[in-house]
Amino acid sequence: MSPALEAHASTPLRGFSLEVGLTVRPGETLALVGPSGAGKTSLLRVVAGLMAPRSGRVALGEETWLDTERSIDLPAERRRCGLVFQEYALFPRMSVWRNVAYGVDRPHGQRRAAAVEMLERFDVSGLADSRPVSLSGGERQRVALARALAAQPRVLLLDEPLAALDAATRRGALRELRSVLGELGVPAILVTHSFEEAALLAERLAIVDRGAIVQAGSPAEVSARPRSPFVADFAGAVVLRGEATSEPGELTLVRLEGGGEVRSVDSASGPVAVSVFPWEILLEPPGGSPRDSVLNRVDGEVASVTTIGNRARIGVSVPQPLSTEVTAHSAAAMGLRPGKRVTAAWKASATRLIPLG
Amino acid sequence: MTRRALFGFAALVTVLLAGCGGGGGSGGSLIVFGASSLEEAMSEYAESFRGADVRTSFAGSDQLAAQIRQGGAPDVFASADTEYPAQLYKAGLVEKPKVFAANELVIAVPTGSQISSLADLAKPGIKLVIGDPSVPVGAYTRTVLARLPGAERRAILANVRSEEPEVSSVVAKLEQDAADAGFVYVTDAKAAGSSVRTVAIAPRLQPDVAYAAAVVKGAGDPALARRFLDGLIHGEGAADLRRAGFLPPP
Amino acid sequence: MRRGSWFAALATLAAVVALAFLVVPVIAVFANVGPWRLLDALDEESAREALWLSLRTTLLALAIVIGVGTPAAYLLASREFRGRALVLTAIELPLVMPPAVAGIALLAAFGPRGIFGPAISGAGIELVFQTAGVVVALVFVSAPFFLRQAIASFAAIDGRLLEAARTLGAGPFRAFATVALPSARTGLASGLALAWGRALGEFGATLLFAGSLQGVTQTAPLAIFADFSRPAGFVSALALSAVLILVSAALLLGVKLLGGERALEGAPRP
Repeated sequence: MSPALEAHASTPLRGFSLEVGLTVRPGETLALVGPSGAGKTSLLRVVAGLMAPRSGRVALGEETWLDTERSIDLPAERRRCGLVFQEYALFPRMSVWRNVAYGVDRPHGQRRAAAVEMLERFDVSGLADSRPVSLSGGERQRVALARALAAQPRVLLLDEPLAALDAATRRGALRELRSVLGELGVPAILVTHSFEEAALLAERLAIVDRGAIVQAGSPAEVSARPRSPFVADFAGAVVLRGEATSEPGELTLVRLEGGGEVRSVDSASGPVAVSVFPWEILLEPPGGSPRDSVLNRVDGEVASVTTIGNRARIGVSVPQPLSTEVTAHSAAAMGLRPGKRVTAAWKASATRLIPLG
Repeated sequence: MTRRALFGFAALVTVLLAGCGGGGGSGGSLIVFGASSLEEAMSEYAESFRGADVRTSFAGSDQLAAQIRQGGAPDVFASADTEYPAQLYKAGLVEKPKVFAANELVIAVPTGSQISSLADLAKPGIKLVIGDPSVPVGAYTRTVLARLPGAERRAILANVRSEEPEVSSVVAKLEQDAADAGFVYVTDAKAAGSSVRTVAIAPRLQPDVAYAAAVVKGAGDPALARRFLDGLIHGEGAADLRRAGFLPPP
Repeated sequence: MRRGSWFAALATLAAVVALAFLVVPVIAVFANVGPWRLLDALDEESAREALWLSLRTTLLALAIVIGVGTPAAYLLASREFRGRALVLTAIELPLVMPPAVAGIALLAAFGPRGIFGPAISGAGIELVFQTAGVVVALVFVSAPFFLRQAIASFAAIDGRLLEAARTLGAGPFRAFATVALPSARTGLASGLALAWGRALGEFGATLLFAGSLQGVTQTAPLAIFADFSRPAGFVSALALSAVLILVSAALLLGVKLLGGERALEGAPRP
């Protein structure tokens, strides 16, 4: 059973101080979400050993990598954290297979084979002898991931792994990354400024603002019970899982896990993630009259009501958790409280589908 | 705008062309090439020379002669031998040379050296510096060595560690303690003062060291140049040479 | 007249003049006397010894410069430390130092009366009048050319590449050898070319510090100087100069080819 990662760091950054502590279990993916400059990447670098905080401690299970109090600072090359950089940092003068083989600890003759094997997993083994400069963005991202994984890292760190991709490539990459993270047996930390990405890829997330974790929990929890307006604004996506069937010329039908049906203008088929912004979801009393088919309706039960200023985040169980936002006034007027049955409604055109599986 | 630019360009070109002087000095100025052993005495003379602004350049006489052959145009050429001026005269580049001084070759050693005779130079391990074959001091040195018995000559030549392009470099090596001994003119030893000591060379080995100078053809003001040259033999120049230790012309 | 066209004409004229000025003397070396006379002159022993000495000493000097200079440049490029700007300026000083001044400086430091003179002779090492002294002078004048290029090349490397290497298990040496060096290759090669060219042409410092003796310290430039002053030596000087020009050109070309980017394999896809 591989060990868990523990990291605490306190260090001055530009304009504020990074003060975080987190734990990630093996096989778990923790997403650090927040605006740029919040210190998320700095924390990754501290874990990887590329940056020494003024004070802090990083340990993987029993192995202490950093302990400023005991003057322990294991160099990065001994920690073996796989780090996928935002711009990938592929070695330009080496072929793709040499890039991937760089961290592979095998006798000389077997290195290329090991590299090609890893490239096959990502469906890019044909690029083995190409140079990074001739690769497309999506291909580079896959090679970067392959390179990090080929070195058999004890922890996987991903710095905005999808940020450099265009929208079309990102969807496929998202799916691949999900499957990689799912099979990984070591702790993984993912840094992203996109709540949606975090919700899709991670089991737990932590919202980071100006060097501090302001809230942590599962994506649904944080979305449904934001502790502050900042979190509420940031936790801006609802993600449901379901099975899609594409009808040519028609809207795509998605059967949600646990019940309910929605339609989307996106086309997809098979397992999908359904993504909607909370402020696009309306709440109606249950059993309202059916209106036109461009409106999705799912019945559920209010699970939580969180007031933030003059807004209210309502967590609804359909039974998958979703959150919506209404004015505090409306919440009171509608008598929303845990247990009340409601219907969540939103437009088919506001329903985004992300293929999974 | 265009006219201004043209004006500026023309002005620039004019200035550049004006800067390119013609050969030699013109009206009231002289350029003198002198052997490096003449530096002290000649500089004194040049400074006090009345009626003209004299600019001097000192180097090995062979190098100066080569420069004149290549078209360099001083007004006066003063060599540490009679050969180079004669060659230039034969080639029609200078007027008839005149001998203006004589000198003596000596062995110079750093003060505190144990060397006291020419024979000492043949000892193994001695670091000897002489002039290269084409510079007068180097030619004179080889004349001296040619007059020695074969074994002694070979032993001394084997100790040569550097062939310098001019005699002042030989002196410099001695002053730097880099060499144990060097062949220089007695005037150089005098100029170097207390940092070197001399060992005399027997008169029967002494070469005929005669310095000749000539006015270079194409000089801007030949009369002025001749006056300067004559001064080396009869006037202020001669006095300066005497003070530096040069002997009167043979 | 169209605005700007007079400027274009002027600039073209300037370019032509500059090019001609630089190229004509080079061509003149070859064209002044016939090629057969040049080849004849090379037959002389003094010419051959001078060329051979130049080759040996510059190779050794360059080996030292690269061997010591590459890791030094890497350190200077990658670390920030107090006084870094001062150190970099100090390294570049010999670049702007007149060669004669360099010779004097070397004498003042390593000559028999120099600061380290007694220590050096105490260790049984002789520099002045020795080939070793030539190598010392060459290293002193050519190292800054290499170092400056090398430091700039290493500093231009994307730090994240080196960080990536480290996360993949490469220690500082492996990261340097497998990532930094290849990335800096072009700059290092051009630094090498510049340094070599400078070493080949070195005259003043060598003459002052090591002296001039055929086969021992009389490198090609010193031989050219001596030839010039020799009666009828001009042809020999031309011949040696011609060889040096050819060798320098070949060096420049060779090093550029070695260090240059190979043609990009495949164009970047959209």
